Amino acid sequence: MSIIIESFDLTRKFGNLTAVEDLNVRVNKGEILGFLGPNGAGKTTSIRMLAGTIAPTRGYAVVAGIRTDKEVEKLHEVIGLLTEAPGFYERLTARENLLYFARFYHINSDLQVDKYLKKMDLWERRNHKVGTFSKGMKQRLALARALVHEPEVLFLDEPTAALDPKSAREVRELILKLKEEGSTIFLSTHNLEEAELLCNQIAVFRTRLVILDTPYNLRNSLFQRQAIVELEEVDDNIINKVKSLDFVLNVGKDGRQLIIELKDFDNNRPELIRCIVENNGKIQSVFEKRHSLEEIYLTLIKEGGKG
Amino acid sequence: MREDKAQRQKRIINIIGKEWKSTFSNLNSALFITLLPLLITVQALIFIYLAMKFAGAEVLVKTLLGKGMENWLTMFPALGELPLIERFQVFFFAQFPFYLLLIPVMVAVSFATFSIVEEKQERTLEPLLATPVRTWELLFGKALAGAIPSLLITWFCAGLFLTGIIGMGSGHLLKFVLNAQWFISLFLLVPLFSLLAFILGVIASSRANDPKTAQNIAIIVVLPILAIVGGQLIGFTVFTSARLFILSIATGVLNLFVLRVAVRLFQRESIVVRWR
Repeated sequence: MSIIIESFDLTRKFGNLTAVEDLNVRVNKGEILGFLGPNGAGKTTSIRMLAGTIAPTRGYAVVAGIRTDKEVEKLHEVIGLLTEAPGFYERLTARENLLYFARFYHINSDLQVDKYLKKMDLWERRNHKVGTFSKGMKQRLALARALVHEPEVLFLDEPTAALDPKSAREVRELILKLKEEGSTIFLSTHNLEEAELLCNQIAVFRTRLVILDTPYNLRNSLFQRQAIVELEEVDDNIINKVKSLDFVLNVGKDGRQLIIELKDFDNNRPELIRCIVENNGKIQSVFEKRHSLEEIYLTLIKEGGKG
Repeated sequence: MREDKAQRQKRIINIIGKEWKSTFSNLNSALFITLLPLLITVQALIFIYLAMKFAGAEVLVKTLLGKGMENWLTMFPALGELPLIERFQVFFFAQFPFYLLLIPVMVAVSFATFSIVEEKQERTLEPLLATPVRTWELLFGKALAGAIPSLLITWFCAGLFLTGIIGMGSGHLLKFVLNAQWFISLFLLVPLFSLLAFILGVIASSRANDPKTAQNIAIIVVLPILAIVGGQLIGFTVFTSARLFILSIATGVLNLFVLRVAVRLFQRESIVVRWR
């Protein structure tokens, strides 16, 4: 897979304040990178540097083979940016707004505008003034604007922030559709479920990059995999027998559930179950405890904060 | 290269088109831009008509205007052949091109402030600057969008004023009115003041968050115009062709200076990071 976004020690200072420090990320073509971080972490500044709207103080980035600080206009031909606030001329219609932006590119603007108005389900409202649109509709229109020239890379800065759950879901479904179509997306978000649903890789960021990995690897690297065994009844004998197994690292009890940490989750599980059954434990279910992305995020942010 | 130029032109035309659509779809700004210049012109005609009809030349000569008229006469001795009342008429008619400077200034300030403050209020500048448009193209497109209607309206008002003079039965005085000062003012000072007003509008808009505040800051450019008109009327000074030419050069230099300030403020990064 080819790398389409790559940054090298990307740093931005505002006076004495360091907003972004030594950001090194790589995104493959066709992947979605979730950029997670608390408010004021420097996510928007990072996106602005990668999208070439502000220059880095130090370091550089290459997006679609173009240096973001050197060839800004060329870069803007091949990227799409959805800013935090959608930003439209409220007295103009949806079509007039899109046409205005589309005409800055080397494209058949009328054709492309109509295509994306239909794709974003705004065709019926194309001749209505944007001032009459709901937040969700404006966000869909902003997505249409970011996509109208069919960019190689799409930067989305908090696309579902400030939207009601229904509109947020609509926007999320659109992003999912783009993912299926093979778009490369750099997605800054607060929404952890959204990141988990949409992203191939997740970067946790707080002025500097805390970690960058797949959601699966993040879970495994941070938390020992745990087996949850639900029994009809839990007694001390079973707990002691389980604890005595040499591959068991830890055993906890929560009601009728045993929470067990194993050295090798996949290989130790059959022997664990056998032990419980041999000691008259009546197993009702066995499953793996999944740590939510929220747990992972909070742990990382806490660790990042310490650093 | 040629394709680049064509693309640049296309982008600038796109900006002008959008500016006009946006400005003229707002009733307040549309009325301000079209009606105000007409009112200024009609008001000047009515004032001159009433002054001539009801005050009379003998009364006017005893006012502050008498001194202005006296100075004017030394500049244009040919006026001495005319009856006193007609001398005053020519004197008033000749002030109009300076008075007319108010129109491009107000229209340009209005365009600059409406256009840029609107972008700030609607938060459209950042998505706009993420397109291939250059910041200078954006500034230039906006300047042209303001300058074209402002010059057209000003020249239309000048024509209307001349028609008014004929309508008042003073057509025979046009040969005294249409002198070098009239043309320097109309074709040199009007575009230069228009540009100055636009740039000041841009500078003011980068600091203000509503059009009214921006206009209040930028309207400072009206003061020298009032000084020119007032100074001539009361005989403080007479703007000869040479003086007007020097004033034009000074305005041009001032334009270059304020343009540098505006271009610095109108950088992609300043807009994205600092404009709030």
